[in-house]
Amino acid sequence: MATTEDRFTETDDLTNQMSVENLATQEMVLNVGPQHPATHGVFRLLATIDGEILTDAEPVIGYMHRGYEKLVEARDYRQITNLVSRMDWLSGINNELPLALAIEQLMGLEVPPRAQYLRVILCEMNRILNHLMFFASFGAELGAITPTFYAFREREDIQRVMEDTTGGRMHFGFFRPGGLKEDVPRGFYASALAGVRQVIDRLPDYENLLVGNEIFKGRTIDVGVLDKQTAFNYGVSGPIARGSGIDMDVRKDEPYLVYDHFDWEVSTAPNGDCFDRFWVLVHEVVESAKIVEQAIEGIPSGPILGKVPRVVQIPEGEAYIRTENPLGELGFYLISDGDKKPYRMKIRTPSYNNVSCLPAVLRGTLVSDMIAILGSFFFVLGDIDR
Amino acid sequence: MPVTERVSAEDALERVRSALGDNVTELHVNHGHVDLVCDPAKLVDVVRTLRDADGLRFEFFTFLSAVDRTEFGGGDGEKAGGLEVLIHLYSPQYVAHVTLHVPVALEGSTCPSITDLFLGALWHERETHEMFGIDFEGHPKLVNLYLPEDFAGNPLRRSFKLPSRNIKEWPGAKDPEEAAAGGR
Amino acid sequence: MGYEVNLPFLEFTFTAWQILIVKLLVILTVVPVGALAGGYALHKELGHLQHRLGPMYAGGFHGWAQTLADGIKFIYKEDIIPASADKRVFTWAPAAIFVPVLMLFLVIPIDRSLIVEDLDVGIFYLLAIGSVGVIGTLMAGWASANKYALIGAVRGAAQLIAYELPIVLTAAAVAMLAGTLSIVGIVEAQDWPFLLWPPGLGFALFLVFLIGAIAEMNLPPFDMPVAESEIITGAFTEYSGMRFIFAFFFAEMGHIVAFSGIATTLFLGGYRPIVPWGPLEHIPGIIWFMGKLFFMFFLIIWIRFTFPRLREDQLQKLAWKYLIPVSLVLVLATGAWVLYAPESIWP
Repeated sequence: MATTEDRFTETDDLTNQMSVENLATQEMVLNVGPQHPATHGVFRLLATIDGEILTDAEPVIGYMHRGYEKLVEARDYRQITNLVSRMDWLSGINNELPLALAIEQLMGLEVPPRAQYLRVILCEMNRILNHLMFFASFGAELGAITPTFYAFREREDIQRVMEDTTGGRMHFGFFRPGGLKEDVPRGFYASALAGVRQVIDRLPDYENLLVGNEIFKGRTIDVGVLDKQTAFNYGVSGPIARGSGIDMDVRKDEPYLVYDHFDWEVSTAPNGDCFDRFWVLVHEVVESAKIVEQAIEGIPSGPILGKVPRVVQIPEGEAYIRTENPLGELGFYLISDGDKKPYRMKIRTPSYNNVSCLPAVLRGTLVSDMIAILGSFFFVLGDIDR
Repeated sequence: MPVTERVSAEDALERVRSALGDNVTELHVNHGHVDLVCDPAKLVDVVRTLRDADGLRFEFFTFLSAVDRTEFGGGDGEKAGGLEVLIHLYSPQYVAHVTLHVPVALEGSTCPSITDLFLGALWHERETHEMFGIDFEGHPKLVNLYLPEDFAGNPLRRSFKLPSRNIKEWPGAKDPEEAAAGGR
Repeated sequence: MGYEVNLPFLEFTFTAWQILIVKLLVILTVVPVGALAGGYALHKELGHLQHRLGPMYAGGFHGWAQTLADGIKFIYKEDIIPASADKRVFTWAPAAIFVPVLMLFLVIPIDRSLIVEDLDVGIFYLLAIGSVGVIGTLMAGWASANKYALIGAVRGAAQLIAYELPIVLTAAAVAMLAGTLSIVGIVEAQDWPFLLWPPGLGFALFLVFLIGAIAEMNLPPFDMPVAESEIITGAFTEYSGMRFIFAFFFAEMGHIVAFSGIATTLFLGGYRPIVPWGPLEHIPGIIWFMGKLFFMFFLIIWIRFTFPRLREDQLQKLAWKYLIPVSLVLVLATGAWVLYAPESIWP
């Protein structure tokens, strides 16, 4: 597939014959967003275009900035749980996890094994939900809207299990410092297993519908290449980094909860183009499903909440806790001065770092490629603006 | 980058100590991560060494932020400190973390930019600039990221009070004791 | 010229003008109704392709009135004209898009005698009128004073130029095979098996025509001029209310129905039965025509909602590097067939 450079060289002869340089051309600033179908939210991109080629792209964010880092300083720890789940609204329970872990680490709380297993199960199911959502939206952005509905059908089964368990569909509020809010309902294992098995069964078909399609390949292979070094430099993590050949996953590198008990693989792809990012995303769904199956098989019985003091008051200290959010590394740098409220909490969200490298990737691409690239950067606006 | 060696926090501390020498004023292990305090003037050199030195390779930029410690430890001000820039780096190769604490002045705060070393700091420095009023010298375009251009004040400074909480305390109960005592 | 009606209760002669007016009225009724029905069929087919039911409530029976309700909703919507738009051009652009679509239906034979006007140069007329609509798109795009609209309009024009050629060439090949430019003549010249004769050639011509037609209608995978996730709705970004449905929805639906009809006439034997077998000959031609038209419609919608969108440069590459050379070769092959194939193997 031709890259931008190839296109230039291909047209060079023609350009010279017609002496296009004698024609007056003008660069145009195209304002993509804040309301645009491809930005999934209020994200704005100031694109300078020459014809259909982007010469520069400047993301403008902040339309949804809610100032969480300030708000948490005025709230106690249990209120923060509900606040942080609204950052990346597609993976609420994964946002609650690092907060619970940070509190537990600073207070020295023990989490019973059953609660740890259930946390893994819920987090991985939430990861499947998140990834299927991006599977759906990426297809829709490239003009294939049918896979969207297939992905949503699979999502619904898992969503129902999550809803039965936690009572919420997006913002679950289920993790407590020291464990979980309550135990899972009767029939949870069977319905969760059925949900993830159905995803594993049907995913190959959906994958073939998109990944096996020549047009899809033409639109994504060698488009929006993010090389390894740039990814490191910008702190890009998650499926996007793994699509650039970076074998980095917090669940494997520094296993938290009980992730080291399970047999699963980190999916990586070498090229760093849109296709590889998408491929990694799809394959992570399968790996997550594997983890859920193993966790349900090996779940111990016991309490779901450890010994937790009545008042959550963290002794003086600070720690950085990071977990693997569906979109990348989510970390909380929690500084406590011994109060019931955090003194300062820096929230390091994955989408923020991932999207900050967009200008480097977008420069020199076509307007159509821009959409494919935006779609393959799997970002959630609430996660950028928090 | 595959993990080549898992280094314990203590080993990482030794490696950092030997690589940086007296460029840092304080060095210890905190919750499994290497914590160091370094002077703003030496920041760029320190970060470059951390990134490039063999055996360290802190190549992954996690975040850059700041903390205003003027109200730390409650009202008496015994433990209170000043403003400091926080930088967290991660070494994917050796699975080690380092947190840099860079004390800066409270008024007219400046800090050298590390955008030449880590492009990811571009947005983080802009955010820290608007939230804490710290000027990062050498940043190519230090304008507000989230806030409108005409926003007055630096929201994450302790002196910037949340207006609604200033007028009225949080109405609900903050912990079970208060709830039992009649709070909502 | 007159047309005599001789029925026991009705005995008078229409003048040419009266006939023309009746025919125009028929077209003006049939096309919007056809577009509404097409829209309903699209909703339903799309729904079932995607494990949904599609509209189920409006009108009671399986949501039959859904597109009607949508149309009424659009009528009630405010007609917004952007302040910086070129108002005259902006208001007239939907007409410039929609009227050519209406005019396509003039020469499509629904049955042997059910045709508004059997022109001698019918196929030539079809191809000429089929590409006039792009002027409306360009008008809309330019007059909207919107960058997305401009990009969409320019893309639309570029696409039309690229894909008009394969359509014209394949249609020319069909005319060569039939030995006439008249549409009815072409239908009459076709015989069973329509697509497979001449061997392979007919099917290849059909494929090239289908690809070109989908591209000319701006449907996925060739819908870059209206790509909703890139440039909103291209040239129609600024339109709302009635203007939007005339410029976009009715024109698109009408186009799909018209091109399904054209493909049916040129390649599938129009109103003639699929197999020349006694009992089938007694089924009215209009049913054969509608059945084949619906098959084409189904095929086009199926393609439309299955494939992702191509990129602008890939689209141009596909046209200029593959489709046009292939259709040129096909025209040559057809010519050779007409000249040299022995008389005995002609159907």
